[in-house]
Amino acid sequence: MEYGPPPLFNQGVSARARLAFFSVAAAILIVIDAQVNALDTIRNGVEILLYPFQRALLWPRDLAEDFGGYLSTVSDLNEENARLRKAAVEQAQRAQLAGALEQENEQLRKLVGLRERVEPHSQIVTALYESRDPFSHKIVIDHGSKDGIRAGGPVIDEAGVVGQVTRVFPMTAEVTLLTDKEQSLPVQIARNGLRAVAFGGSEPMTLELRFLPSNADVQSGDTVVTSGLDGLYPTDMPVATVTRIDRDVKDQFARVILRPVAGMSKSRLLLVLLANPPPLSPAAGAHENAAGNARGDRAGAKAARR
Amino acid sequence: MSASVKQWLQRLWGGAGLASDPAADVRPPTIGRNLREQVLRPVRPGFIWTTLIVAFLMNLLPWGRAIWVPDFFAVTLVFWNVHQPRKVGMGIAFVFGLMMDVHNGALFGEHALAYTLLSYGAITLHRRIQWFPLSSQAIYVFALLLVAQLASGAVRLWVGGASPGWWVGLLSSALGAAIWPVLHSVLLAPQRRPAKRDDTRPL
Repeated sequence: MEYGPPPLFNQGVSARARLAFFSVAAAILIVIDAQVNALDTIRNGVEILLYPFQRALLWPRDLAEDFGGYLSTVSDLNEENARLRKAAVEQAQRAQLAGALEQENEQLRKLVGLRERVEPHSQIVTALYESRDPFSHKIVIDHGSKDGIRAGGPVIDEAGVVGQVTRVFPMTAEVTLLTDKEQSLPVQIARNGLRAVAFGGSEPMTLELRFLPSNADVQSGDTVVTSGLDGLYPTDMPVATVTRIDRDVKDQFARVILRPVAGMSKSRLLLVLLANPPPLSPAAGAHENAAGNARGDRAGAKAARR
Repeated sequence: MSASVKQWLQRLWGGAGLASDPAADVRPPTIGRNLREQVLRPVRPGFIWTTLIVAFLMNLLPWGRAIWVPDFFAVTLVFWNVHQPRKVGMGIAFVFGLMMDVHNGALFGEHALAYTLLSYGAITLHRRIQWFPLSSQAIYVFALLLVAQLASGAVRLWVGGASPGWWVGLLSSALGAAIWPVLHSVLLAPQRRPAKRDDTRPL
């Protein structure tokens, strides 16, 4: 124990007064942050301050990974090479087919007089780290507003949809994964086009379809794809596969549990779609509003429910 | 600080006793046999800041969703609140909490509130905690960390977020309490160093 001259009179503000002051300050900040996005400038400032440290602290992990890669054997690499070559051949065939179809589609669209579909621009990004917050599923990527990334942009990996950019800093951006409980996404079942809304599941690393009647035509193993009704995500991107359906007769709705097809937090290289695909017709103006909004998925979800 | 401690010691034992015994001047006097009651050297503010910043940076490391990693900053904060309540207060806890929020993408103020409560609890209990052996101190630390975790969970529920399950907070607090004895010995080491013996001193 350290003995020092005890302060008899000059104790400063009492601990309780300080507690009250800082608690109220924190509560005010929480309320403001939960309701409006007024604190983004402060957040950006702090993020810029922390950014060099965050990057520097990724270094030990990357070094360990590089070292692990160095130790991987020749046979592993050969195997991987063969597999990739096979995949490349398969994809080349598919790409040729897609090219032909695209041309044909373009001609047909011109014939009917429809607007040509603009391919969305995209940006390859690297996931830096995963948020430690146990309450949310978020990852941070290494591109931000200076690279043209905007809030609301869909994020995909090689298998399917991963999530959505929810907050943008100058150098980095936060991506909320589909498995986050507050994230929702309008989807349809690929087999029969049944539309639904996928929410983050209550179990870890799952999604669930809500508001589907208990007699809905859903089977275990069905593929779920984006419906594109939100005007934010491109249509027909793989999202998840149905793993379990609980049809409770007492309950009005079926409980459908999905497993996401994308690697979620496991995949390191991701693709952020930058430009939103244009709405199909001018009548779909409501979706355009939704596209500009960071919480556009909510509006889309409502549209899908109707 | 060091001069004021010497002055105070002189007042405590009487100026004559110290002047007649030069050894008492150079070696920190120990009261009783217990190490707990050893008179410590004054802490350096630079050391407090360094350890707080290092603990914060350890929290910034890419741990991912690993649940076996304790909140290093929270435990370090509790340590300094208990041992130096007049130097490390709720203001520091609040500011570091805000930075933690930005890093984790949490609500702005969530960690700030949790750390403020943690700091208040530690400052209120600081005189009591120091009289216990380390294992009992760890139980106090566990309770403090749990209260902070509950505050953070309550904020989430209030705003309408999801709850990750009560055992996550329990485990995190238990891990924090588990590193308390290690942290205690490391952070107190610089203050336990024996005073330098000055051979060229005339007296």
